[in-house]
Amino acid sequence: MHRRSLILVGLLFVLAVPLAASQFIRLPFDQVTRESALIVRGHAEQTWTAWDDAHEVIYTYATFRVNRYFGESTGPDTLLVREVGGTVGDYTQEAIGFPEIRRGEDVVLFLSQWEDSTDYRIHAFNQGKYLVRGRGGMEVLTEDPVKQGDARLERPGRFDARQNADVEGPGMSIDEFAMMVEAARAAERYERPRK
Amino acid sequence: MKKQSILILAIAAVIVVASADPTMAYTLLSPRRVWKTTPVTVAVYNQGNSSINDPDGGVSAVAGAIKAWGVVNSSVTGSAAVRGSAPPTITLNSNGHICNGSCLAATLTGYYHSEGNNTYIDDADVYTNTKYKYTSSKETDGCSSEFDIDGIMVHEVGHVIGLGHSSVSGATMFPSVAACNLDNRTLEADDIAGKNDLY
Repeated sequence: MHRRSLILVGLLFVLAVPLAASQFIRLPFDQVTRESALIVRGHAEQTWTAWDDAHEVIYTYATFRVNRYFGESTGPDTLLVREVGGTVGDYTQEAIGFPEIRRGEDVVLFLSQWEDSTDYRIHAFNQGKYLVRGRGGMEVLTEDPVKQGDARLERPGRFDARQNADVEGPGMSIDEFAMMVEAARAAERYERPRK
Repeated sequence: MKKQSILILAIAAVIVVASADPTMAYTLLSPRRVWKTTPVTVAVYNQGNSSINDPDGGVSAVAGAIKAWGVVNSSVTGSAAVRGSAPPTITLNSNGHICNGSCLAATLTGYYHSEGNNTYIDDADVYTNTKYKYTSSKETDGCSSEFDIDGIMVHEVGHVIGLGHSSVSGATMFPSVAACNLDNRTLEADDIAGKNDLY
């Protein structure tokens, strides 16, 4: 009975943790899936920051090593992902609530291309980024709890993606996720000829 | 033993209820930071948003709405925002090359400095996604699939003064909003608790 109580207490604590939500307009999962050019699982290998040509916006860039494409899409082994925000020298730009790209993290990303280049960006902001976590011998996807403004953006060599390795939260298995993507893409194929 | 289990459960339930208390769900930006002096004067760039059917494209409506925070004054300016330099400026007719897709408005921060144990905000600028249609408190034609610019900018100015997002649905600092939801014009207890934590 004592053990059961402790399990119940643990469960209650898990349920009481407020869920981080995305800023902006909350989009249905199917819409995020359909609008994304690529849905990939992979690893942020190298990151760096730079101003745009007009010296107005600081971007964080990441070379992203892909080890799985979801849906019917496929592509190169490495993609260049760029997001607003970062630090150049002593100058930092943070867009509050926007997703961060952090070196070393294992993630699933919904990606679309920037209008002005072939670089990719995370589609639908925080709705387009999931952390891959190991839990009970299974890989699960969870929403990234750390967004811009929650923590100082990466400075080279000063951020350890493992800091968030013990973050827990509601998640779904990779297989469940893959099935949801397939279902959304299948619905799109079904609806398209009827338009 | 059974009584002990019930007692543990009762204590746990109290802790859970307390931890889920919506009045404590606000967050602060990290590092914790404030403006050195208040009231903070936030400028609204006088080029309005063409989707807003009031006399000045939402400029005066926003200038009035953001005073809801109590520690904020407003002014209307003909000068565009200068990133990193005060005054904090709201721009209604440009996304600043950062806010598109499902983003309605975005606040650029990161401009702050430390003095001793305190961190002070130097600037924060707000941009608006012009892809969407907006309504304002000065419109007379009602709301039809539009987003409320007053409420959106009260939310963004919450970031300007140092607040992060809240997980309390209905709080102005909740991170998402639906069309024609006018509730964010008014601060909820959670928003006020966050502001009072800082100032």
